[in-house]
Amino acid sequence: MKFISASFSLGIILGLFLTSCSESEQPAIDLEYPEIIVMENSFPRQCSVFKRGETYEFRALFRDNQELGGYSLDIHHNFDHHTHSTEVNSCQEDPVKSAENPFLYIQTFTIPEGLLDYQASATLEIPEDVEPGDYHFMIRLTDQEGWQTLQGLSIKIE
Amino acid sequence: MIHTALFTSVFLSFQLLNPQAPTRKSPDGALDRMILGDTLPAVLELEEVVVLDGAAFIKREESNSIELVKQDFIRQNRGGSLMNTLERIPGVSLISIGSGASKPLIRGLGFNQVLVVENGIKHEGQQWGADHGLEVDQFGVDQVMIIKGPASFQYGSDAIGGVLDIRKKAAPQKDGLGGAIALGTRSNNGWFGGSANLIFKQGAWFAEGRITRADFGDFRVPTDSVFVYDFGVKLHDRQVRNSAGKELDFSGRIGYQGRSFRNTLGLSKVSTKSGFFANAHGLEPRQVDSELHDRSSRDILLPFQEVSHTKLINKSSLNLGNSLFQLDLGYQRNDRKEWSQYVNHGYMPAIYPSEMPYSSELERAFDKEVFSFHLKNELFFDRHELAMGASGEFQQNKIGGWGFLIPEFQQSSYGFYVIEKFRVTNLWQITGALRFDQSRIEVKEYTDWFASMENPLEAREKDYLSRAQDFEREFNSLVWSVGVNYSPGDLILKANLGSAFRMPIAKELAANGVNYHYFRYERGNADLNPERSIQLDLSGEMKKHQWSFSFSPFVNYFSNYIYLNPTSELDILYGAGNQVFNYTQAEVLRYGAEIGVLHQLTEKLSFEVLGEYVYSEQMSGSKKGYTLPFSPPPSGILNVTYKPSALGIFGEPYVAVDFRLTAGQSHIVPPEKITPGYRLVNIRLGSAVSVYGQKIQVDAQVQNLFNTRYLNHTSFYRLINLPEAGRNISLSLNYQF
Repeated sequence: MKFISASFSLGIILGLFLTSCSESEQPAIDLEYPEIIVMENSFPRQCSVFKRGETYEFRALFRDNQELGGYSLDIHHNFDHHTHSTEVNSCQEDPVKSAENPFLYIQTFTIPEGLLDYQASATLEIPEDVEPGDYHFMIRLTDQEGWQTLQGLSIKIE
Repeated sequence: MIHTALFTSVFLSFQLLNPQAPTRKSPDGALDRMILGDTLPAVLELEEVVVLDGAAFIKREESNSIELVKQDFIRQNRGGSLMNTLERIPGVSLISIGSGASKPLIRGLGFNQVLVVENGIKHEGQQWGADHGLEVDQFGVDQVMIIKGPASFQYGSDAIGGVLDIRKKAAPQKDGLGGAIALGTRSNNGWFGGSANLIFKQGAWFAEGRITRADFGDFRVPTDSVFVYDFGVKLHDRQVRNSAGKELDFSGRIGYQGRSFRNTLGLSKVSTKSGFFANAHGLEPRQVDSELHDRSSRDILLPFQEVSHTKLINKSSLNLGNSLFQLDLGYQRNDRKEWSQYVNHGYMPAIYPSEMPYSSELERAFDKEVFSFHLKNELFFDRHELAMGASGEFQQNKIGGWGFLIPEFQQSSYGFYVIEKFRVTNLWQITGALRFDQSRIEVKEYTDWFASMENPLEAREKDYLSRAQDFEREFNSLVWSVGVNYSPGDLILKANLGSAFRMPIAKELAANGVNYHYFRYERGNADLNPERSIQLDLSGEMKKHQWSFSFSPFVNYFSNYIYLNPTSELDILYGAGNQVFNYTQAEVLRYGAEIGVLHQLTEKLSFEVLGEYVYSEQMSGSKKGYTLPFSPPPSGILNVTYKPSALGIFGEPYVAVDFRLTAGQSHIVPPEKITPGYRLVNIRLGSAVSVYGQKIQVDAQVQNLFNTRYLNHTSFYRLINLPEAGRNISLSLNYQF
């Protein structure tokens, strides 16, 4: 019987210890995703049109509650309409077709350390010889803790 | 907070009840001489006339925290898959994908941290993937033993989080032909299925065959639309587009049951085909031809998965009085294919090359072959029971398809163990165990079939990325466990302290590709060490008058939990611009408890409260302070069961109402989302019905009575906010002859 009392007293102590340590000061952990904020000068937007042979400036405002991480841009064809678009309103789409020489662009960018806000900009060159049609423009944004926000836009290359 | 009340109330109830616990003269040493065949016998064959329930016996004998589930429970709670059926058990939850596939989570650990044993042999599927279910025919399952804690000393690597030991029915006692037919239907997804088995016994020989067939349509959720990320998807008829599936299983056994020698040879095959939610391949939003998909709710279109799992198991045992030898030999093959339309992600070419060895629709294929053995010798003495064993496994893994997640690999392992049970007095028993394991993994190189550059016409050899290099790793591990059982009469108290390990798997060591289901680039780490953990389990059970209590708290520490860590980095070359997830190791502290209180108010009416709680925290590494992925929220069940007396043709009728309360889960880690709590009502009722002198067991269930819209934190589709299934009414008929 001594053992039982001892073991259950131990149990209570254990229980109290465990409950107390879960309630006591937790390190403040970040539970928020970074944000891609659409500003007046943001480009591209849903349904933006790019012209071949021209140069464009990607612009967006990124924000995080603690610290931004990095971002990447990705342009790939959507001739088969497989849709990455995270924007609900769909654009006027060309008929489905198979790709022959589609444009592909993948680039990663770093964001200077310690920023909560960052006005991102990058130069995008659309080559002369790529195939026109419906494309996806993907923005992937991370923060230091590893939260990731995706934005997929439907764009057109003419 | 919930758990404070939970801990204190239960401890107090134990404190109050304990000292008065009556002691009963317990059965003597002869009890040890039992033989466990394919399943736990309801009544043990003993030298003296001691009638004891097998489950209670196991609970008294083992120092781990154990739950035993019997056929009746499985029949009454039958869900779309075995894990759905077992979800009611405190400490057990599941990761589900669709309505027909799910994998176990025990106290929040799953994947390769929970070991599934079927008929003595470790079940080897594709445990590492969240979208891969458990390939088990639930109609062939007679009993399930769930060990809610590490049991590496007995089962080896992977039993670090718990064990699900699935057993078939024992050979019949009487000569002749018998069998059973089960038929069922589920309203939510138009599930129709059944299973039939025939068993024949003549003298020492018996043979058994079973066939199971199930077919189901898209499951329904209480919502008209879902948002995959921010992409709105309209659901046709509230159905999860393309989540239909079907299953066809065969199994057969032939056995010899002599006085001292027994042998059973069994062959089984489980084949399933099931669709993935078409609007989100993985978690990637997809635009689909809704007209094509919505034409029928029962067709399975792309994307879908096909799995076939074949097993050949031979079990033998030789009983030499106080020595029992058991030898299990197994071969299994898990053949899994994921089919979907080719979509060029990252640098993949826009047009699928015709010279590729795979169809453009075969995204991934995994083909696993496993040979395993387990030899065990148990020696029974007056007060001792000594078990020694050795086990080994060899597996070969091939991959296919245009997608890449893990390379091909070969793996071999062996281990030795010794377990000693010592009955100090009739009330006290001590268990000690020691085990050594060695394993070796050989990873094969893999090179991309496409060049990672924007203009593939200029590609040179180096532009075809090497995703994996040939390499070998060897691991060894020594684990121990000590336990004590104190079981006076109606009380069982147990404590167990033990270490456990898990060898890193191929994916953790060598993953190096983009998982487009999650838009993440997963990078393995070839230098990982075996995962090690130490756990203290306490467990108390008590039956007194009309009350029974059970309480099982645990504390667990991992010195190096293997964790897929999301970073802020994005990789252009290997990751095609995706976020980098690195396999790392971190210290982890976990603790929690399950409780159960049953009060038999009258002979016919009983009340039950079940509860589970688990807390996990990473104590080091870059996610210090965060929890672990797939942490189940605290939850409880309030149950009322009414069993009226037999009436006319109805024998053993029952009605049970479960009120399930699940708290929200705010302990999350990237990329998870905070999940709100929910309340559900489930009803079960049934009875044996006599028709023309034959007894037919009828069981019905209403799940999610109020068609509540809720999210399950541990569901695969949680990240895209897909609600769980709405109201379901199921009916099943069982006839035994």
